[in-house]
Amino acid sequence: MRTRLTRLWRWLTWTWSPASEREASTAIVENLWLHWFPAKVDEESFGWRYSFWLGAISAFLFLILTVTGILLMFFYVPSTDKAYWSIKDIDCVVGFGWLLRNQHRWAAHLMVLVVFLHMLRVFFTGAYRAQRAVNWLVGLVLLLLTLLLSFTGYLLPWDQLAFWAVTVGTNIAKEVPVFGESIRFVLLGGTEIGQSALVRFYVLHVVVLPAAVLVLFAYHMWRVRRDGGLAVTDPAAAPLPVASQTPPVEGKTYSLFGVTPGTSLETRAARPQGDGVAAASSPHLLRRLILVFLAVFTVTIILSLISGAPLEEAANPSLTPNPAKAPWYFLWLQELLAVTTIRYKQLTISGGLVGGILIPGVLLVAAAAWPFLDRTPLSTIGRWFPRERRAQNAVFALIAIAIAVLVLIGVLMRGPYWQLYWPWQAWPELPRRL
Amino acid sequence: MSPVAEPERRRFLQWIGQWSVVAAIATQFGGVVRAFVPRVLYEPSKKFKLGKPAQYPEGVTFVPTHKLFVVRERNQFHVISAVCTHLGCTVEWKGEGRQFDCPCHGSKFRADGQRFAGPAPRPLPWYPLSMSGDGFLVVDSAKTVPSTYRFAVV
Repeated sequence: MRTRLTRLWRWLTWTWSPASEREASTAIVENLWLHWFPAKVDEESFGWRYSFWLGAISAFLFLILTVTGILLMFFYVPSTDKAYWSIKDIDCVVGFGWLLRNQHRWAAHLMVLVVFLHMLRVFFTGAYRAQRAVNWLVGLVLLLLTLLLSFTGYLLPWDQLAFWAVTVGTNIAKEVPVFGESIRFVLLGGTEIGQSALVRFYVLHVVVLPAAVLVLFAYHMWRVRRDGGLAVTDPAAAPLPVASQTPPVEGKTYSLFGVTPGTSLETRAARPQGDGVAAASSPHLLRRLILVFLAVFTVTIILSLISGAPLEEAANPSLTPNPAKAPWYFLWLQELLAVTTIRYKQLTISGGLVGGILIPGVLLVAAAAWPFLDRTPLSTIGRWFPRERRAQNAVFALIAIAIAVLVLIGVLMRGPYWQLYWPWQAWPELPRRL
Repeated sequence: MSPVAEPERRRFLQWIGQWSVVAAIATQFGGVVRAFVPRVLYEPSKKFKLGKPAQYPEGVTFVPTHKLFVVRERNQFHVISAVCTHLGCTVEWKGEGRQFDCPCHGSKFRADGQRFAGPAPRPLPWYPLSMSGDGFLVVDSAKTVPSTYRFAVV
């Protein structure tokens, strides 16, 4: 009986401790969920200190968000009358609903942060160059989708925080030249934030944007392999001439990755084995993946136990909270909005246009175009902070630090009427109006 | 039929076929986009009734339901929008400084709606008033009027 169970388990899963190289490869290739990993992985590419596993962490956060999000959908009602109270129920009535919501909130915040850090890692290691430019662009779109997911989710609780953050956010969209008004009109399904806006944000949040992320994520992962794995392995793989591959034989089926240009499974297999450079994906890569997942899950749970997702009073369109703040990852834009209104004689250009559209737009276009403008030697790819890339790394770091500082100022130091206060300074008492 | 016509006709039919697929997809996409532009708005009318003139005291009164201020100077009335022209937060009347302050990004406006501080690009708009048959003030927020506008109630 026991052996039969073991056999069933073996049949359903994969060999965790393969007896041979062949068994290790078969374990990966024959499994639907594992076959997208290569059978063997260079040890340097799954070291902790090169990539910090930021991509894997964001993927696991997305997984946690999907599961907790689907569970939350059973209890949430996307109606302006009921949304707020269904969230109250989730927090106070539904068994462990508070934990679900807290974990969803924390995973969302962390995902924005980790995706951004992942982008920094890829830039500082020059891993967006040459054939990887496409994946850099896909990554930028994934970053935008992450922000949009977070922003659309922000409205759903329908409390004061949600309502006003989205008011400010959608009014930024209005500042887009020519099309601004219509973009906001279609986004909200009207001229005000009401029922149609809530349903639109809801469907975007639970179906459209996650589906887009899933498709692009699959492509992102596939491109990583297609482009020759993590950039850190490039220096070792480069000296092998492509000609060393076995010439195609008629009638023979080649693996997908065997025929793509550049480094491939074939060229990698030509490297000397047994010197500890390449390790079998099962179990070495899988073990690390599971460890990373457990760590991510534990961190989100601990954070959820320490601090809950906020819920202010129900949305009130006639009472702006003071100060009214956008979600934290948009606070650097809100800082720019508040200071970038340009006045020249009669001409006034709104801060919404300059700080909300032009500056982030220019940054985005520059990031998208950079792989094609970068002229530093390709030998710097896959190394942290190489000397040859000092100047551009410094500029990129400065922009990232500026964004971080503006976010911190917005979160910690902006009080009523957008005045600056030290974090330890008390805000003045404000009379409640109405 | 000449032998040359055959491939040309085939290419033409191919061209028709391919472009009709493109046209069909584009049309359906257009239809989907159209569905997202509402034809009817279940929103409050832009022209609406306020209270009777007598219920507004001298000075500035905030009307939260319509996000505007009713200003009364003896028997003269005017109405100023409370929606900040920067990013749409609701401004507050500060009686002591005779100014409107926006809590979101710190824009400040004078009593006549002119901006004097902060990022707001335009002054707060003024809306025309009229009187309904049953003696209520009526605001038409689809139109704006200059800040010299006064509505006299006799």
